[in-house]
Amino acid sequence: MIWHITKRELYDHLNSLRFAFTTVLLIALMLVNAIGYLGEYTAQSTEYQKKISASLDKMRSNADNLYNLFREGPGTLYKKPSALSFCVNGGEAFIPESAEGVRSSFGISSDDGLSIEGIWQMAYPQSNPNLWNIMPDYTNTDWGDIISIVLSLVAVLFTFDAISSERERGTLRLTLSNSISRGTVLVSKFLAALVTISILFLIAALINLFLLYTSGSVLLGPSEWGRLGVIVLIAFIYLSIFITLGLLISSRVSNSSTSLTILLLIWTVWVVLLPSTLGALTSGLQPTMTSDEFGAHRQEMHNNLDAQYDFRRYTDNIPSRQIPATEGTLFWSKYVTEYAKREEKLSEEHLNAQIAQIQLARSITRISPASSVRYAIESMAGTGFTRHVQFLGHVRRYGNEFRTFLIETDRADPESPHAIGPEEGTSQKPVRFESIPKFEDRVSFSGAYNAAVTDILLLLLFFAVLFASAYLAFVRVEV
Amino acid sequence: MFLTLIRRELLANLITFRFLVAMVVTLSLVVANTVVLIADYERRLTSYDTAVTEHHQRFLRRTSTYSQVEGAIRVDRPPNPLSIFNAGLDRRLGNSIAIGHTLVPTLWDTRSHSADNPFLNLFSSVDLVLIFQVILSLLALLFAHDAIAGEREAGTLRLMLTNAVSRSVILLAKYISALACLTLPVVMSLLLALILFSVSGSISLTGDDWFRIGGILLTSIIYLSAFYLIGLLISASTRRTATALMVSMVIWSTLVLIYPSLTVFTVNRFWQTPSQLESSYHEIEQIWESFERERMDFLRNDAIEGEDLNTNILYSGSWEAPHISDPTTLRYSKAEIRRLRIKPEAEPLMPHVKAYFQFSEPRRIRAAERTWQIRQKALNHIYVRKANVAKNLMRFSPAAMYDFATEAWAGTDFHGIENFITTVQRYRQTIIDYFYDKKAFSSRKWFSVDQGEVDWSDLPRFSYRRRDIWKGMQHASGDIACLLLINVVLFMTTFLIFVRQEV
Repeated sequence: MIWHITKRELYDHLNSLRFAFTTVLLIALMLVNAIGYLGEYTAQSTEYQKKISASLDKMRSNADNLYNLFREGPGTLYKKPSALSFCVNGGEAFIPESAEGVRSSFGISSDDGLSIEGIWQMAYPQSNPNLWNIMPDYTNTDWGDIISIVLSLVAVLFTFDAISSERERGTLRLTLSNSISRGTVLVSKFLAALVTISILFLIAALINLFLLYTSGSVLLGPSEWGRLGVIVLIAFIYLSIFITLGLLISSRVSNSSTSLTILLLIWTVWVVLLPSTLGALTSGLQPTMTSDEFGAHRQEMHNNLDAQYDFRRYTDNIPSRQIPATEGTLFWSKYVTEYAKREEKLSEEHLNAQIAQIQLARSITRISPASSVRYAIESMAGTGFTRHVQFLGHVRRYGNEFRTFLIETDRADPESPHAIGPEEGTSQKPVRFESIPKFEDRVSFSGAYNAAVTDILLLLLFFAVLFASAYLAFVRVEV
Repeated sequence: MFLTLIRRELLANLITFRFLVAMVVTLSLVVANTVVLIADYERRLTSYDTAVTEHHQRFLRRTSTYSQVEGAIRVDRPPNPLSIFNAGLDRRLGNSIAIGHTLVPTLWDTRSHSADNPFLNLFSSVDLVLIFQVILSLLALLFAHDAIAGEREAGTLRLMLTNAVSRSVILLAKYISALACLTLPVVMSLLLALILFSVSGSISLTGDDWFRIGGILLTSIIYLSAFYLIGLLISASTRRTATALMVSMVIWSTLVLIYPSLTVFTVNRFWQTPSQLESSYHEIEQIWESFERERMDFLRNDAIEGEDLNTNILYSGSWEAPHISDPTTLRYSKAEIRRLRIKPEAEPLMPHVKAYFQFSEPRRIRAAERTWQIRQKALNHIYVRKANVAKNLMRFSPAAMYDFATEAWAGTDFHGIENFITTVQRYRQTIIDYFYDKKAFSSRKWFSVDQGEVDWSDLPRFSYRRRDIWKGMQHASGDIACLLLINVVLFMTTFLIFVRQEV
């Protein structure tokens, strides 16, 4: 029986104006997206490879002397572009694409032959490319927006009159006079709307993928197909939320036009305005340092360091290549190491505070499923903020690995005084380039899935709550 | 009769459920966002105030010769209180510029004194205009979709026309009363926002600002009227209310949400950066090369022949020659900054050094100005034109026109920011004039401190006032005129359809 009603509903949908509208809209948007991203990934990967090999070349030239590696660090570490960036552009313009293992800002030289340079530290560039951006401020046309805004609107348009109009016309009473439970009616209406919109979405998405795939713009491996599959699944869950919302309102309200009014207002607030409003509202709760304040903070750190290790007392104590290390060598080693450690700690703390601010704002914006769905798709596509946090995790791990490697290599050299920092205290042997750990950024399916799982569960929860309320509302309503 | 009709329509609109819901939603969103936006404005204002004092103090602390002025004066753009109505570019673009005689500043040389967490850009901002733009246009369409189709379905239209009422009167009555109902939430929102302003106390509005807010109100009404008329046209030309509703929603979502984003996306993706960048950069390099040649010629022909100033003079102190070159924004300048102590043996060289600076610095200024001419043209061609193309394409949607017009009223549009840049450029000219007045280039204080540091007490200070209201009005007028035209055309069409229609 359930299939019978579903079929009836399906035919009903296929004949409607909204079906035509949805078809045109979804296909047009997906086409624009595909054409917009033609060749984008190829260009990005070429650029990425070029930057990586430049970075590696620099490392290779530094490898002729272990001290150079200590001073220069691993160089710039780049984030690998995601093949699925056409799915969702998670504000890529505002997120740095690299982290830097760079030379320290510390350096001192005097006429007496003292010349000390700091050792490398990890730095996190903070760019604000928006400073000069005079383009009007609007969202992208990517899968994320098509799903979060268009698909939810379509769901509302398909269901606002699903029950109320049948009640208005009296056909609902007729249907229920057969031996059909109300649950069956509700489920079949839900299924009909879901199937109709899903098929339209799938057709549009396949056209999009076909264009991108045949033009050779993206290389989709098994992992990418898997992630695309999950993205489509997420889209279906999200779609179900709004279908049930439509059914819920439609069964409570007597009049279709009132039902649509309420639904549209809920939709505008929930989907369009709330994510931004909540983002702005909650980011004020936990403000971070501005760049000027950070500068002052850093100055204070330097003053503290100077108070603790007064390096001016040691400017006559020139390091030398003696084994065991002399007092001067040891002092400079300690100073330079501490300097790098504190600098790195400071910038990391600043970065962590910024990330925490965004994480808090993001968790509160999840009140709107439009945010959740975006975040989930971002995680699965390997773009956006979550991906950046993962990248930073990789960078940190690699930084430690690189540092340990340098220290161990130095320890293996019997001619080194093992006082890392000043040139005299460090091994100057060439290092085999192949043995140096290299940074490799990767987007793994399991990592992406773990990042997305909260959002997916949240979406499922929304769906379950709404479906239960729609069922209760429909069962108790008078026909 | 006309008044009776208006009264009836007004009541019919006001007591509807949708009006109540829309009103509550609008007002609560307005309150929530205004509170956030005021807090944000206060933060930016504090940051601006600290930046101004900090930059001035740093200037006094670090600058003791005339040549050190290069890049040491930093001027800041105050936040615009009307950005609460339409944020536009006010919050986003750089708000701090360094001034020097070797570079004419542009928007592409700005930095941000209040650089917050850059990740915050991930959340787009909501301002009052956006709320009106999205929610009230929806309400306008909801009012309009059954205005004619609904009455026809119910049969009341026929009833009404049996009285001696002309169709135009009915249409006009419907239009006027709906407009009144739509104006109500706008006015109430603005009043609420103004109350919140006065409670916060940090926002001081000038007389001009009240006119600007009036302009925003007027534009809002015209915008909502356009959407109401779109709905009325649909309602007059469809048989059933349900169809009218569907068509209205399709048009609304396309015009307000989908089309503007689609346009920006398309322009961003398909806009080819003109190749002009490279050739312009080359031209600029040549300007500075020819300057460098002249400078070296001068050094060669002078008495201190063949010897570079940097190594020649017996001095102690600091000198640097910052050389800025950035091919993507065409930023290019070469300066010479010195703060020296002259040793007695070098004393006889002093007249030559003075002559050198008197020769080189005015030429640097000239090179900077020629650079700017090329740069201005190229940057406009590359970046400004792109934004203009996107904006012009977006103007097919009344929502975008409304956005641009209110932005112009608030002074947060590109022209408003440009106005700040122009003021900064004028200020740079004042500084150069001040140098000429003081004969700074040929003065010993240009490069050395051993005869005392420069007294900065009569250095002109920077002051900025927002563009006056007429300019804002001028920039808004195009979009307002377009919106009015849309209104007239829609009204005429609806009228013609309605008059010729069978009831």
